[in-house]
Amino acid sequence: MIRQLAGRVGQAIVATFGVLTIVFFIMRLSGDPTLLLVPEGATAQQIAELRHALGFDRPLLVQYVAYLADLARLDLGESLVQRAGVAGIVAERIPYTVALATGALLVALGIGIPAGVAMAVWRGSVLERALAGFVLTGQSLPTFWSGILLILLFGVALGWLPTSGADSLQSLVMPSIALGALTMSTFARMTRIAVLDELSRDYVTAARARGLSLRAAVLRHVLRNAAIPVVTIAALEVGNLLAGAVIVETVFAWPGIGQLAIQSIAARDFLVVQAIVLFVSTVYIGMNLLADIAYAVIDPRIRLEQ
Amino acid sequence: MSGRLSPGIIVILALLAGFVFAAAGADLLAHNDPLRQSLLMRLRPPGTSTATTSYLLGTDDLGRDLLARILYGARASLMVAILSVSVSLLVGAMLGLLAGWFRGWTAILVMRFVDTMLSIPAILLAVLTVAVLGPGFLTLVLVLGLTRWPRYTRVAYAQTLQVVTLPYIRAAEMAGCGPVRILLRHILPNIAGPLMVVATSEFGLMILFEAGLSFLGLGVQPPYPSWGSIMAAGRQYVQRAWWLTVFPGAALFVLVLCVNLFGDWLRDRVDPQSRSR
Amino acid sequence: MRHLVLAFLAAAATPTLALPKDALTVDLPGDVATMDPQLQWDTESYSVYRNIFDNLVTRDASGKIVPQVATAWRYTDDTTIVFDLRTDIVFQDGTPLTPDDVVFSVRRITDPALKSPQLSQFDQIASAEVIGPAQVALHTKTPYPVLLAQLVKLSIVPKAYVEKVGDQKFNQEPIGSGPYRLRTWQRGVQSVLDSVDSYWHSKPPFRTVTFRAVPDGPTRIADLRTGRADITRGLSPDDAESVKSDKSLQLLPVATERVAYLFVNTLATPTKDKRVRQAIAMAIDRDAIISALQQGYAKPVNIVLTPANFGYVADVPGWPYDPARARALIKEAGADGATLNFITSPAYDRRLNEAVQQMLGDVGLKVEISVTDQPTYLRRRQGTPEEAGSLSQGRWSCACQDADGVIFPLFRSGSIWSKMNNPTFDAEVDAARTILDPGKRLEHYRRAFEILREEVPGIGLFQDYAIYLARKELKWTPTANEAFFVMDMRWQP
Repeated sequence: MIRQLAGRVGQAIVATFGVLTIVFFIMRLSGDPTLLLVPEGATAQQIAELRHALGFDRPLLVQYVAYLADLARLDLGESLVQRAGVAGIVAERIPYTVALATGALLVALGIGIPAGVAMAVWRGSVLERALAGFVLTGQSLPTFWSGILLILLFGVALGWLPTSGADSLQSLVMPSIALGALTMSTFARMTRIAVLDELSRDYVTAARARGLSLRAAVLRHVLRNAAIPVVTIAALEVGNLLAGAVIVETVFAWPGIGQLAIQSIAARDFLVVQAIVLFVSTVYIGMNLLADIAYAVIDPRIRLEQ
Repeated sequence: MSGRLSPGIIVILALLAGFVFAAAGADLLAHNDPLRQSLLMRLRPPGTSTATTSYLLGTDDLGRDLLARILYGARASLMVAILSVSVSLLVGAMLGLLAGWFRGWTAILVMRFVDTMLSIPAILLAVLTVAVLGPGFLTLVLVLGLTRWPRYTRVAYAQTLQVVTLPYIRAAEMAGCGPVRILLRHILPNIAGPLMVVATSEFGLMILFEAGLSFLGLGVQPPYPSWGSIMAAGRQYVQRAWWLTVFPGAALFVLVLCVNLFGDWLRDRVDPQSRSR
Repeated sequence: MRHLVLAFLAAAATPTLALPKDALTVDLPGDVATMDPQLQWDTESYSVYRNIFDNLVTRDASGKIVPQVATAWRYTDDTTIVFDLRTDIVFQDGTPLTPDDVVFSVRRITDPALKSPQLSQFDQIASAEVIGPAQVALHTKTPYPVLLAQLVKLSIVPKAYVEKVGDQKFNQEPIGSGPYRLRTWQRGVQSVLDSVDSYWHSKPPFRTVTFRAVPDGPTRIADLRTGRADITRGLSPDDAESVKSDKSLQLLPVATERVAYLFVNTLATPTKDKRVRQAIAMAIDRDAIISALQQGYAKPVNIVLTPANFGYVADVPGWPYDPARARALIKEAGADGATLNFITSPAYDRRLNEAVQQMLGDVGLKVEISVTDQPTYLRRRQGTPEEAGSLSQGRWSCACQDADGVIFPLFRSGSIWSKMNNPTFDAEVDAARTILDPGKRLEHYRRAFEILREEVPGIGLFQDYAIYLARKELKWTPTANEAFFVMDMRWQP
């Protein structure tokens, strides 16, 4: 087991390295930030000088090796635009991102899982259809529109919640709903399917034949087994909740790393983008490692692959 | 299950057919040119009519007929979604099946590649790729298709792992069925349900994703409309010209809802386990 | 019915707010990039750090260059200018501002090692030296008439402090001599400034000023309507229309030195033909753009410059709107149905691009718009003539209110923006940047604009407005250079 785990961790490191390499080269192919840093009247010579000073005239491979060398010394470098340490810039955003991801996950799981179970248990009823429509609403509207509608309703018209910012727990409510609504239906639907699958299995029929109530069967056996696909999806969503919240963060002025990432891409602030990707992929790959282990624990039929 | 269709699914299928019909027949259905601007007629409410024409759903911020733009926009939105879902479903399901069947090093390679791709947030990857490849319809399909396949792979892999342990697969193997036959005839139908569910919810997501890229200014190129680009442009006018977001938003909502409900229904039909009961 | 709803919304939002006497909250579209005033110079950073520092000279409300750290200045020869400095200014750490600090500031920003993006605004300065207890002299490489206009942007930084803490810490914890000092800077969230009550000029109007980063336009407007912010900038003309009904808010529009123009490539693509370029100039209905798209928040211009800039000549005519003649000219040039690539980015007004597309379509030119992100757009626009497409939209401001900062970089051959090669034009703008006499400069610019009219490497569309939205009680007059000096604002119930 420990050897298997060590192997998986090794693979995870290789995957992270792959991520960094892919992002490094795509970013460099997309140009460099020199043109964004010079004033509008700069001459070609001034631009060439700044590009040289920033080191972007070196061959791509040299830049790549230099980046890896810095990384090996645990040096994430200095932002070209903000002229400050990248580690600090990204670290300042992480609490906001974790808060938003947690809030969104609470919304998505808190509504999605009970709705999914109810949809499976009362399959074919009006309730199922109503719930299906409800959980889908969040996934069927572009956030950039539903977000501003939420702001106008709860912020401007009703005055219940702050319209923007990140200075209180109240300001977390609307972004969490907007972000959580996007994945809520995914959880509900996966839960519904998983529960239906389990309900149709022989052991449930047998248990019910023994006189176990449906409610007890669901609680005792079905949910435990149905958890596998739900855990898969939850692990899948973490990456998107961390840095995929770009639009939600933009609309609600939430200073998470998604907003930082998109702004840094727009500014071609390479080192910041790479540090963000490093952070997100580490968390993501770690979560998936945990999910894989969770499979093995929940469902003894599956073993960790070697 | 017999061939009988419930009234619910008939409504859903009819609506879906309606969307496809609207997209295909936009040329015939729209009585105004979706690109024709009239700066004097900008932001007119639904029902406005002039001496020469009428605007059933109003006009946008350049005085173009919103109804015509929604009809033509359906075409762009549907094509982007269908093509990108096809690309990612094909690539993703194939890799997932192979990984689940061969396990071992194949699985390690495939699944770590999946981790690699999935751990880069799709929207960031999309923005970067558009920056490198330049914008355009084909770029959009490729970017969406090739960033989203890992989700299918993960589900296909997890499901295949479960299914291959079932007794009847071993029975089929012992009966001398080749791996290709087992994969396609016995495993694929078993995992098609969850894959369909992913594909249908992805279909909606792709439409929203295109809208998101439009919001960031990198979607379908102007002046051609997609639902996303109409809404992204219209959100500035949420209060002043509500029709610019409400009508395409309603169309998008109904379409995504129908596709997802259709996916659930389809899943119930293709899943041999639920069929046997 | 809708008005009723709006009235209800306004009523619901207002009563909860007490007038904040001592604080000002500003919504900006983005965060400050650097607090070091000698590094980034985007509008957000400018809006914040210029309240922390003093500049050598500044502009008054009418746009005239007036004293700030310098009390007076005179040319001793064509390349030497001497400044008398105030002696009563102290930095926020208590040390006095001396001529050494001024010289240090000039040398620091012109030192290539700092890699300052603002370098090219100051690189005509050859050297700086202290010549008296309260006097400094600047030497320019050639006679340079725009020097003062550029020095409006030179913030004075404290030599001793910068040398002691280093560039990176100075950027985090800046110390200036301005009316406000930085209290906290939460990156991506907000920066909070405290007033310096002993400020040499006068007491600052607000005890604290908070600059929040709110990237989305509709959200900023919602913040204003709920009183979460007191002022914001960057409204579009359509935004302005939609908030007019809110009685608790006021619009503060101002005509700026920013000119909206259409770039036309003279070196490649079908626009290489002068007749096609002239036809394009006649196909653009600028009045329709100003009245319908800009809702009147724009003033017509006849050249690629605004009246807020030195060098504006009102009597060089623009091309009249004449689609029939444009169509004929295109036929004559054999360009009927030619495809023009219009390169742009989300930073530019989408509606204007599409309006131009249709106007040119109406005279027989097929325009294809290609939207990429800003860095990719810049790479193409500043690349070779073949990469730059046929057309693009621009909104140009040099923040120096001088033609030299506009048509020199835009059209002088050898500049990265220029896609024109006209030696006569080059000679005129070269001459205009190396003589000090304003009358003679204006003559050079007149001739330069006459060449531009004939050659059409760009088409002036309108003088752009900056539109601010503020609480009714805030008194402030915005200026043409889009400066954001909190010192000029007041609460006035």
